[in-house]
Amino acid sequence: MERYATNSEQETEAAAAELAKRLRPGDVIAFRGELGAGKTAFTRGLARGLGIAQDVSSPTFALLNEYRGPVTLYHFDMYRIQDEDSLYSTGFFDYLDGDGILVVEWSENIPWALPEDVITVTLERTGENERAITVEGGARF
Amino acid sequence: MNILALDTSSKACSCALWREGALAGEYFLNAGLTHSQTILPMVDSLLATMGVEAGEVDLFAVSTGPGSFTGLRIGIAAVKGMAMALNRPCVPVSTLWALALNMQQFRGYVAPVMDARRGQVYTALFRGDGAALRREWADAAVSMAELGAEIKKLTQPVILVGDGAQLCLDTLGGELPELLLAPQTLRHQRAASVALAAQLAGDAARCTAGELAPVYLRLSQAERERNQKRSDHK
Repeated sequence: MERYATNSEQETEAAAAELAKRLRPGDVIAFRGELGAGKTAFTRGLARGLGIAQDVSSPTFALLNEYRGPVTLYHFDMYRIQDEDSLYSTGFFDYLDGDGILVVEWSENIPWALPEDVITVTLERTGENERAITVEGGARF
Repeated sequence: MNILALDTSSKACSCALWREGALAGEYFLNAGLTHSQTILPMVDSLLATMGVEAGEVDLFAVSTGPGSFTGLRIGIAAVKGMAMALNRPCVPVSTLWALALNMQQFRGYVAPVMDARRGQVYTALFRGDGAALRREWADAAVSMAELGAEIKKLTQPVILVGDGAQLCLDTLGGELPELLLAPQTLRHQRAASVALAAQLAGDAARCTAGELAPVYLRLSQAERERNQKRSDHK
């Protein structure tokens, strides 16, 4: 388990960009954290660290955003996913079999569908701009 | 008659041309590539290499499920597009039936098994007399344990095909030593078998491009909750 404390959105992004260097194709990152905890900022940092030039935005309405670069980043939002059928119809299981990196917001809704070696990133608000970040799982963290 | 068949229902991807009652050509890929990027170039290349114009295809066949959500939609959308443009009929083929046809001349039971994740499989059962296969069970999504319990009741050899065949053998082989595994080269979904299914199906199975639809075959929520309760009790 690894812990970071960041004092701004920029620092959260930078921490994510550092973490990105240790990711491998096929990794699944599950976020835990409430609205405004910095999940999208963290994903933006991951994308930057992976060498992806595309802009990152919240996938709330699209359910899935795809960012292409040296490795493809699939950014899911499970906020409206309630059961296995609705998850199946996002294509989530097909992406799990692929060689991109998956980032899952609101992973709390699909704990049963996450792979055993999932990397869990917990973002907690400790102040207006301060965040406590915990990274665990995947044998590397 | 020329039948063009596509299968993109799981990780492998293939297309085949069936001509005058026999397999004339087949392209098969199991390279982890994206079906949406490979299937149409494969069809294009197969037809071009064989010197067959798209307009010479009389009938389209496609695996309509069960299978991967994205995969099924890619194959069906591709066939819909071609069949609609050329105004040709289509035959929807059960992925499990096509898999079973890989073992068409088997004497005994043929059980196609596809991994549906989390201990679930898509399966069906067919009985072969050495010439033809006859369906015994409808396509279903069941737990591996349920499949094992059903197989136990059978009195003839059972051969497993499909991407869940190995998993099924590993899980159930201990208590069911009579289980057989199809040869590796016959274990995947093959467009050739989808074409064969269309050939066997006859005119009544045909539909229009517009009528073609995926059959996802998901467990109902109630069934899943029941299974969950059962496994919780163990």
